[in-house]
Amino acid sequence: MSLSIRPMLSSLLRSRTGAILVALQITIALAVMVNAIWIVSQRIVDIEQPTGIDDHNMFVVAIAGLTSHFDLSSALSEDLDYLRGLPGVLAATASESVPLTGDGQGTELWLQPGQRGHSIAAGELQLDTQGLKTLGTSLLSGRNFNSAEIQHFARGKLDLTPADIIVTHTLAKALFPDGNALGKVVYNAAGKPITIVGVTRDFMGAIGLGNAPYAYAIFPQIPGAYGAYFCLVRTQPGRLGAVMRVAQRHLATSNPDRVIFFTHSLEFYHHRMVAANRNMAIFLSTVTTLILAITCLGIFGLATYNVSARTKQIGTRRAIGARKRDIIAYFMVENAFILSAGVVAGCVLALATGYWLSQQYDLPRLDLYYLVSGVLFLWIIGQLAAWQPARRAASVSPSVATRTI
Amino acid sequence: MISYYLRLASKSFRRTPGLTLLMICAIALGIGACIVTLTVYHAMSGNPIWWKNNVLYAVTMDSWDPAEPADPDHPALPPFQLTYRDATYLMSSDIPRHKAMMAELLGMLNGAPGQKAPVPIMTRATTADFFPMFDVPFEYGGGWDAAADQGPQPVIVLSHKYNERLFGGRDSVGQTILWNGRQFRVIGVLKDWQPTPKFYDLNEGPFAGPDDAYVPFNWTRTLQELPAGHSADWEANVPDTYSGYLASEAVWIEMWVELPTAASRDRMLSFMNSYWSAQHKAGRFQRPLNNHLTNVGDWLKLNGVVSSDTSILLRLAFAFLAVCLINTVGILLAKFLKRSSVTGLLRALGASRRQIFWQHLVEVGTIAAAGAAAGLVVGAIGLKAVQILYAAASTGDTGDSNYTSLAHFDAVGIAWALALAALSTVAAGLYPAWTVGRLPPSRYLKSQ
Amino acid sequence: MLKMQDVSKVYRTDLIETHALRNFSLEVKSGQFVSVSGPSGSGKTTFLNVAGLLETFDTGVYELDGQDVSRLSDDARSRMRNEKIGFIFQSFNLIPDLDIYDNVDVPLRYRRMKGAERNQRITKALELVGLASRMKHMPSQLSGGQQQRVAIARAIAGDPALILADEPTGNLDSLMARQVMDLLEQINEMGTTIVLVTHDPELARRAQRNIHVVDGVVIDSAPYERRRPTGEARA
Repeated sequence: MSLSIRPMLSSLLRSRTGAILVALQITIALAVMVNAIWIVSQRIVDIEQPTGIDDHNMFVVAIAGLTSHFDLSSALSEDLDYLRGLPGVLAATASESVPLTGDGQGTELWLQPGQRGHSIAAGELQLDTQGLKTLGTSLLSGRNFNSAEIQHFARGKLDLTPADIIVTHTLAKALFPDGNALGKVVYNAAGKPITIVGVTRDFMGAIGLGNAPYAYAIFPQIPGAYGAYFCLVRTQPGRLGAVMRVAQRHLATSNPDRVIFFTHSLEFYHHRMVAANRNMAIFLSTVTTLILAITCLGIFGLATYNVSARTKQIGTRRAIGARKRDIIAYFMVENAFILSAGVVAGCVLALATGYWLSQQYDLPRLDLYYLVSGVLFLWIIGQLAAWQPARRAASVSPSVATRTI
Repeated sequence: MISYYLRLASKSFRRTPGLTLLMICAIALGIGACIVTLTVYHAMSGNPIWWKNNVLYAVTMDSWDPAEPADPDHPALPPFQLTYRDATYLMSSDIPRHKAMMAELLGMLNGAPGQKAPVPIMTRATTADFFPMFDVPFEYGGGWDAAADQGPQPVIVLSHKYNERLFGGRDSVGQTILWNGRQFRVIGVLKDWQPTPKFYDLNEGPFAGPDDAYVPFNWTRTLQELPAGHSADWEANVPDTYSGYLASEAVWIEMWVELPTAASRDRMLSFMNSYWSAQHKAGRFQRPLNNHLTNVGDWLKLNGVVSSDTSILLRLAFAFLAVCLINTVGILLAKFLKRSSVTGLLRALGASRRQIFWQHLVEVGTIAAAGAAAGLVVGAIGLKAVQILYAAASTGDTGDSNYTSLAHFDAVGIAWALALAALSTVAAGLYPAWTVGRLPPSRYLKSQ
Repeated sequence: MLKMQDVSKVYRTDLIETHALRNFSLEVKSGQFVSVSGPSGSGKTTFLNVAGLLETFDTGVYELDGQDVSRLSDDARSRMRNEKIGFIFQSFNLIPDLDIYDNVDVPLRYRRMKGAERNQRITKALELVGLASRMKHMPSQLSGGQQQRVAIARAIAGDPALILADEPTGNLDSLMARQVMDLLEQINEMGTTIVLVTHDPELARRAQRNIHVVDGVVIDSAPYERRRPTGEARA
């Protein structure tokens, strides 16, 4: 292959505007692609984060008092008894929030009384003895609550301090980084001591995705202060739909003093929780694909133009002995120059964009591995886009040289 | 002359239909993508009451924990809600033209003719000025007056949607209905009013469902209703009675005032400041003075209504449009330069630079117009897709979603498309048209 | 009609300067038929480009139809090309997507002439060249001679005072070439000044005067028959 680079460069420089425009497209496309894929990969990590609960087989019934005769604690125990007795139900618990909804309550725990030292933030769940079984999580150490420990709220009564709590593995580590949390005492804002009686596997509570999606404390409490409660139900695999329908029909009419606010599967909330990330990933991927497609069309267009503008020159080269593959090589190398220029500028722009995104939006810094892969990928599809015009150039007949057009 | 240029342009398109189509597609995709993200962005950050932007103010005071700011990530910000005692005191001021305090309650509606089961609804407990202050449009009847606030009188305003559902859309003013087991008289029915974002209460997220009914605020106290909306407290000892709750430092009330002049705004602020000083001496408000009257636009910004995802997407859309335009400039330039022998000939026959420039600009304009038209279609399809994608993300517990209203293709979208098309014509066409206009006429005559 | 006094034109590239015209002086009277000849690279084409206002020149004075054109703006030059000059090229230079009628129409369009007048002029010009029946044909459907006659129609449709023809018969066989020359003579007889650039002595001989150009300088401007052999010798 005999390629003289210098004349090629000089011809490139002479018709430079087209080449610059294509290089500019490549620059933007690379910066967008690399950063978009980086963001998408982060989102996928978020989407695929395990919930730690058996959300495929769980549903929630939201119940609210309606009339002044409504007695919450009797209605609640009646509803729970009914739900627990249904065939196909593994466990049911009262709760004051619903996991995966993003609508939960937080609390703070101290290692010393009187708010001394720094506090650890934790999500709070109020569940009864069947709480752990309903969530589908299990104890790593310690014990479950017994029914004597469960505290009952009354309407309008807003604060109860439990004597014992169960914490997730993540929260246990946060509270006691180098030791066994089991049996240790922590303090709430009012300075009252609380003993950790159990440590569970990690699961997501109601607060949702965030900095600490797995830091939760379970309080042995039955809600009621707000005149409304949730019943969380876990069914045997495959029985969810049927159980939900039966329960819904029964509960709607079983007690005229209250109403069913809504019934949802936990999958509904899981879906909703990851939807924003999933949508962002879909959006970014679509737009990136389109940008790449447009850029390839630009490369294709420029190469086609170059070939047709130089038909006579190609014919002359052929006439004086250039082989087909020399012509192809000529155009491919020329395209490679443009690509490389665009890619080099694109690296700079991609890094700058990545830096800016990390400053502006709290994203992790761009992983260089993505940049390298992006460069290679773009370079290859860029060359593929020029392949067909180069082939067409090679098929120009040498006789063109002697014809006037 | 324009018609002649158009004829020449159509000849040119027929000569290179593939390239022409490519350019139209590139512009259409770029404009379509921009329309989609701009519409979403506009809807998300748009000010739904822009005409009153500079007279409506959210009232905030920093009543939070002396030891720690309300939001440790933004220590300069006071909590976004007020305590009951502060809100009721500030409501006693007659400086604002309008003023309203409000909170979200859970309500049960029952007793409409033919109604079988009670319906749970989100109810806004608020004061009389809410309706005139926010220019709330009524279909039937109207709001209540200050006397009804004081009573409180059992009057209720229904949303358009629930009037449809309970009364089949008929004029229900004067009808009686049960709200949480008590008899209320329907006093007004709203038109379909869904300010998006719901600027006056952003605590449940910007796309929280609309309020379904409105009752006088004092029913909260009369019926001992706890708020179903956002509330927060910092005290170590949470009160365990309702009256204790009202007297506590828990924040759960949004307050808005309408202050038509800068002077009234200053007076309101000094009223707040003197209240702060008195309370400060009495032992409350131990954090630094941090009273604010925040207008709607700033309030939306403070609440981070535009998610970072949307602003990333917005920038992405512009990068995309840029690539599409650069692409088009490149193709146009190649196409025009390839024709330079003809252009040289036209120059020899007496076409001036300006005539050549306009001739090419008309050609570009035609492409841009076609691209814009196709872009509108692309945008409409894209918005449909967004609507489907986001419907799940914004579905509330009761199954309502505000995204359908958000992502509809309105005049704003079309205006954006047209503006973008005009802009892209200028951006994509000027340089190539100018370049061919500058070609020396003689050079290309011989080489044909 | 056309008067050049000491016109010079230099082409500069990075490496070399080419003096295409040096102190080029020439006068063509109104109604004359003048041929310009000379060897390749002698400056014939540059002369034509300068005379046709397609290119500017560096020094000297050029008056066209009594007007000094040295300092005209690009717009004014375009206008003069449009109104005073008709071009005829060796390779015809018809616009391939436009039919015959539209090709003749082009210069009239740029003059912003009204539709009725354009129509009348186009018809008249095409009748003169004998192609009125081919108005709706595309250039590619015509023979070379016919195409060149269309080009002539285009050149005269605007009623120019001067026609510049650049090797108008170079791409034609001898029969067609003769037809084209007959046509040009006919136009000249109607009063239009014609400057014909050619290296063909046959054609040069048919002009009233022949201007011989060598190295950008006018060597001789006598009628061809009275040509002294020195010009040839010096070339």
